[in-house]
Amino acid sequence: MPLGTLERTPPPFFRQGPSAATRLAFFAALAVFLMVADARFTVAVPLRQALAAVLTPLQSLAALPAQWLFAGAGYFEGLAAAQRAEHEAREALVRQSQGAQRAVQLDRDNATLRALLDLGPALPVRSLAAEVMYEAADPFTHKWILDRGSRHGVLLGAPVVDAAGVLGQVTRVYAQTSEVTLLADRDAAIPVLNTRTSQRAAAFGGAGGGLMELRFTSANADVRVGDALVTGGLDGVYPAGLPVATVHTVERRAESGFALVTLQTAASPDGVRFVLVLEPMHVQRPELPASAVQEGRDAPDTRERRDAAINRPRSGGR
Amino acid sequence: MIMPRSDAQLLLPARPLFIIASLLVAFALNLLPFGRQPAMPDWLAVVIVFWGVHQPRRVGIGWGFLFGLLMDVHQAALLGQHALAYALLGFVAISMHRRLLWFGLAGQAAQILPLFVAAHVLQLVVRLVAGDAFPGWSFLLAPLFEAALWPLATLVLLAPQRRAPDPDENRPL
Repeated sequence: MPLGTLERTPPPFFRQGPSAATRLAFFAALAVFLMVADARFTVAVPLRQALAAVLTPLQSLAALPAQWLFAGAGYFEGLAAAQRAEHEAREALVRQSQGAQRAVQLDRDNATLRALLDLGPALPVRSLAAEVMYEAADPFTHKWILDRGSRHGVLLGAPVVDAAGVLGQVTRVYAQTSEVTLLADRDAAIPVLNTRTSQRAAAFGGAGGGLMELRFTSANADVRVGDALVTGGLDGVYPAGLPVATVHTVERRAESGFALVTLQTAASPDGVRFVLVLEPMHVQRPELPASAVQEGRDAPDTRERRDAAINRPRSGGR
Repeated sequence: MIMPRSDAQLLLPARPLFIIASLLVAFALNLLPFGRQPAMPDWLAVVIVFWGVHQPRRVGIGWGFLFGLLMDVHQAALLGQHALAYALLGFVAISMHRRLLWFGLAGQAAQILPLFVAAHVLQLVVRLVAGDAFPGWSFLLAPLFEAALWPLATLVLLAPQRRAPDPDENRPL
């Protein structure tokens, strides 16, 4: 039997390093420290950024097979399906172009009326197209990873929408990628406006089965199944009028002062590949006039209070 | 390597390059975008336990911790959650490596199963404490799949060490 066949070096007697239990204790303590730092403070953000920078090329490499699969499926899909898809796209285009023409006219009217009433111009909505890289495999949350990051101008807290409505909000930004927390996530919350009754409310995620919940709705509130909820436009994050959800069930219980209202989100998170990342509205908030600044000096906490009212995600939060 | 193993075959020494490559391949398998599937087996956990059992002086707690951090960032999970679980897997693998290899593959898988269950339950407890939602009971299928992958991992990862010590023309491998 030739040499080199067996492992000839016996384990060292003395220089074995720290014992396995010691190492486990050290690394477990480090992990617990990191978890607390990540969940409660923003200390772990640089480490996360660095690891994400290492990971991004690997992730795009791992996403390649899925892309090939998509491309291959498209190739073998057949002519009829492609023609049908094109037909549907054309129909949608006609419908949308009619709406767009009307919107142009309404915009012009609106500008004239605003000028008459001496109001400032409405804020434009700036957006950025992004592709969904993958859905995070973490079973405890609902998150997507987009292929656009701070280098492309994605901001923390930016709303993410698709053609059907609001999908979620950017909760972490890396250099090349960003994380979106979907509305179905337990940590998601969004202020909404009921289009039928003009009542404002707050919708929260995590109701189970991909539904949202309209919390703190009194038992006799005017909410009906099928009511459409849109963004209200007061929160400083979402532009007004984006579809969020429709009321799915309303359960009025005698023993409780509140109604249990579940919502079906307008945008279905299944099969979405391209999304729009909007700029949060507070970024382009107009500067205060000089007189207001003078008054603000007497009450220095005005601005802070208003900032606190803006629905921002916890910085670097989960 | 002095003790006779249950399969009574003397193995070639493991190559460090192969160990690292296998860890990276398992990591790449975990990176594949299958979406949010609680029952998806964790390939990296299987490979870390495998090398922790077969090469306890090379792979163990530290490597588990490092790859766990990368998994956390990839999954957008709590930073340190996978790191803690993998460090625990590495530790238990090291502490049971003398006993485990006396059993056959099915026996090994049966003894490994509680370890994988413990790792997943540990992650569940950590996330519930951190205030996240319960993912549904199907997450308990993942350790079953991982234990079922154990014989496959043994077959694939020990293959280079089971080659003939003196390859010739009739027996090139």
